[in-house]
Amino acid sequence: MSANAFISNEQLAGLVAAVVASGTRVIAPVTADDGTATYSPINSLAEATLNGALPNPSLKAHFLPPTETLMSWRQHGSDIEIGSPPDSFAPQLVLGARPCDAAAMDIVDSVMNWDYKDELWNARRDATTVISLACPGIDDSCFCTAVGLGPDSSRGADVLLVAVDDGYLAEFATERGAAFLADNAQFFSAAADTAVAQADESRAAARSAVEANLNVDTKRIEQWVGDHFDDEFWLTLGPRCNGCGACAFVCPTCHCFDIADEQSGVGTGVRRRSWDTCQSNVFTVHASGHNPRGDQNARYRQRINHKFYIYPSKFGDVLCTGCGRCIRACPAGQDLVEILQTIDGKAANEQEGVA
Amino acid sequence: MTELQDLAHKLLDEGTVQVVIGWEDSRRGARPVTITDAEDASRLIFDSRCVHNLATYLNPRRSQVRALGKPAVVVKGCDTKAVAALLRESQFERDEVVLIGVRCGGVVKDPTSDGVLTEETTAPRCVACDVREPRLADYIVGEAQPEPPQNTSLDDMVAKLDAMTPDERLEFWTAQMEKCTRCYACRQACAICTCDRCVVDKTVPQWIERAPHARGNFSWHLIRALHHAGRCVECGECERACPAGIPLMLLNRKVQQIVAESFDFTATDDLDAVQPIGDFLADDHEDFIV
Amino acid sequence: MGREMSEPTTDFEPRITAFVCNWCTYTGADLAGTSRMHMASNVRIIRLPCTGRIDALFVIKALEHGADGIIVSGCHPADCHYTAGNYHARRRFIVFRELMNFMGINPDRITFSWVSAGEGGKWRDVVNETVTRVRALGPFDAYHELAERPSPGSAVEIGVPIPEVPEPSRSTASEDASSPSAAGEDASPAPTSAGGES
Repeated sequence: MSANAFISNEQLAGLVAAVVASGTRVIAPVTADDGTATYSPINSLAEATLNGALPNPSLKAHFLPPTETLMSWRQHGSDIEIGSPPDSFAPQLVLGARPCDAAAMDIVDSVMNWDYKDELWNARRDATTVISLACPGIDDSCFCTAVGLGPDSSRGADVLLVAVDDGYLAEFATERGAAFLADNAQFFSAAADTAVAQADESRAAARSAVEANLNVDTKRIEQWVGDHFDDEFWLTLGPRCNGCGACAFVCPTCHCFDIADEQSGVGTGVRRRSWDTCQSNVFTVHASGHNPRGDQNARYRQRINHKFYIYPSKFGDVLCTGCGRCIRACPAGQDLVEILQTIDGKAANEQEGVA
Repeated sequence: MTELQDLAHKLLDEGTVQVVIGWEDSRRGARPVTITDAEDASRLIFDSRCVHNLATYLNPRRSQVRALGKPAVVVKGCDTKAVAALLRESQFERDEVVLIGVRCGGVVKDPTSDGVLTEETTAPRCVACDVREPRLADYIVGEAQPEPPQNTSLDDMVAKLDAMTPDERLEFWTAQMEKCTRCYACRQACAICTCDRCVVDKTVPQWIERAPHARGNFSWHLIRALHHAGRCVECGECERACPAGIPLMLLNRKVQQIVAESFDFTATDDLDAVQPIGDFLADDHEDFIV
Repeated sequence: MGREMSEPTTDFEPRITAFVCNWCTYTGADLAGTSRMHMASNVRIIRLPCTGRIDALFVIKALEHGADGIIVSGCHPADCHYTAGNYHARRRFIVFRELMNFMGINPDRITFSWVSAGEGGKWRDVVNETVTRVRALGPFDAYHELAERPSPGSAVEIGVPIPEVPEPSRSTASEDASSPSAAGEDASPAPTSAGGES
């Protein structure tokens, strides 16, 4: 899609002010004093740091929060009153989403609308307009291009901005995005050819920078992982792993949750769902005590399996956007770039008939 | 090959151990490695980026490491204190593990960095280290190292919190507890979190709320710090593992300070030391009891 | 000093949970009762075999559920029915009291005491002093309400309030004693009726 709209820094500030004034929440990356960033509500563009530190938690936390209440109850006598969460949320705007984070939401939409339509996820998705900002690449743990995305991907975004001198080029990626641009046309102007050329160049540069980190064939990885469930390779990954949830919880595509009831008083309580991880040793424990994934070798294999074989074979997408957060977060040094490279190498050797 | 690599090669080759747990270099710095093949012994390294407490790999809940066979583990002096705690608690027998002590001159907090030791980059655990040459070891390798720069930021922050009012401290910790998503990286990285079934995983009854709201998180971190009174060796791995950047070592430092002041006990590699909780003295102080 | 109950100066009446050992303090509290001693009625006692059974989790659970203050009490050192339970407890109390203080739980909300089976008067004093002290500190909703706070960088609307107690219909017999609500939630109970608990 060719970008043909331009918004200056001042106009963007004006757009944010107008959206905020209309009562719509605006969420953007905000960098704290210690250098860490979160996607947080802002009242003005000045509060945001676009393309600063990679926010943590990822954008997922705005659609599937670390914990949320599914229902509440009060029992009195033989009656029970039930409280329910809203079935729709007020419209909100995300400004400056990383393309890896925006794409992740789109990828997870598949499982959230599979055998059960997740009302809360969908209601939050329906309420949210996402404006992504093309990214220059962060460091050598980024690999979005290797999983079919890219630092300038518009997947999962309604509008994609690309930074140029004094402002941004804007292109819409969805009908909602087109409507957003139309509704706010007063803040946009036509893009100069020089700006378009600058944007194309920066996008290409970002893509090559990320491509240099990892270049694999996810289809043959899917094939190899599916065919090698019992391979010795998995025994080399489990020992180092602590079995914590750091990788799953920072991941924008991991979506497993556990449901637990909490009693808040006598006869009153809430049911919550909270983030869970297949790396936990009790994730697959049965009531009998048997655990089909009884050690970290099996559990770590599951992580790779789910993301690179099971999910793509079910839904057509790798359950990974190459953001690299898992690599940076892992205290034990597990490296998904290295793991994918190794598997791809094995898969290539098999393809070529080498042992 | 270095002294460490030669030793590892020999131990594996002769079948004295089936796995050597040490550090290797990687695309992103130093990281733990389990070497089962003598030919891979040349991957082993030791430098100031080797902050990881490898005693955690002896933790019996790591069944996939146990399955590799009798281990030799490369340990810094501070790590041997964790090994000692595990031995005192009968998690394994002394002759079931070979300890390769390594002479250490301090480590940096971030194993992916260049390893240059300054007052800011050095791990707080290196302050006043008394085991730069490990004592609890079957072998000791490496050159003697100079004293590292002292990073007193942890003690400074504890003192700063101590000087606040309870309400100010509650505000501080509430902000920290809001960040926790209950990934349990702190627990999983810890060498002395050995419980088969952690108290937070027990659901009948549910003592600690599982939901990662600030209240559940408060309870979780309070109890975890308490369960480590007199057991924590202050390696800092919990804080390093935390993906939310919560300063967990403030809690552990405070608890060990309380234990030191009240029970005259600090983390030690002495296998005959008696751990303070589980023990008592008739004249333990009770100035707060009416 | 402790013999007198203080007059409340506000409408706030603190809720105190007491964890006491069966052999000494519980018996002492019973003695205070049978001796008709006047004491504040804000305390709910939980009886345990020994202070050695007390886990910090008990105190935390009470705070999570809205307790404003805590009393922990048992046999004097050397008098423990199980010989050394209170010595172990004392060690644990030392650590968790200071750690809780470090995390911001005001130590003035928690009273630790040794009250023997014959010290009914001391139990009365402990209760009255604790209630006076905690009343002055005000409610400790801060801990209970920590559950309402969303985590930074995530969705803001994450809670569902507990449904209110519905208006009772006066014509039916289904006006059972309603469950007391937790602190912070709706606090207007339905009128009680005769008839058993449900």
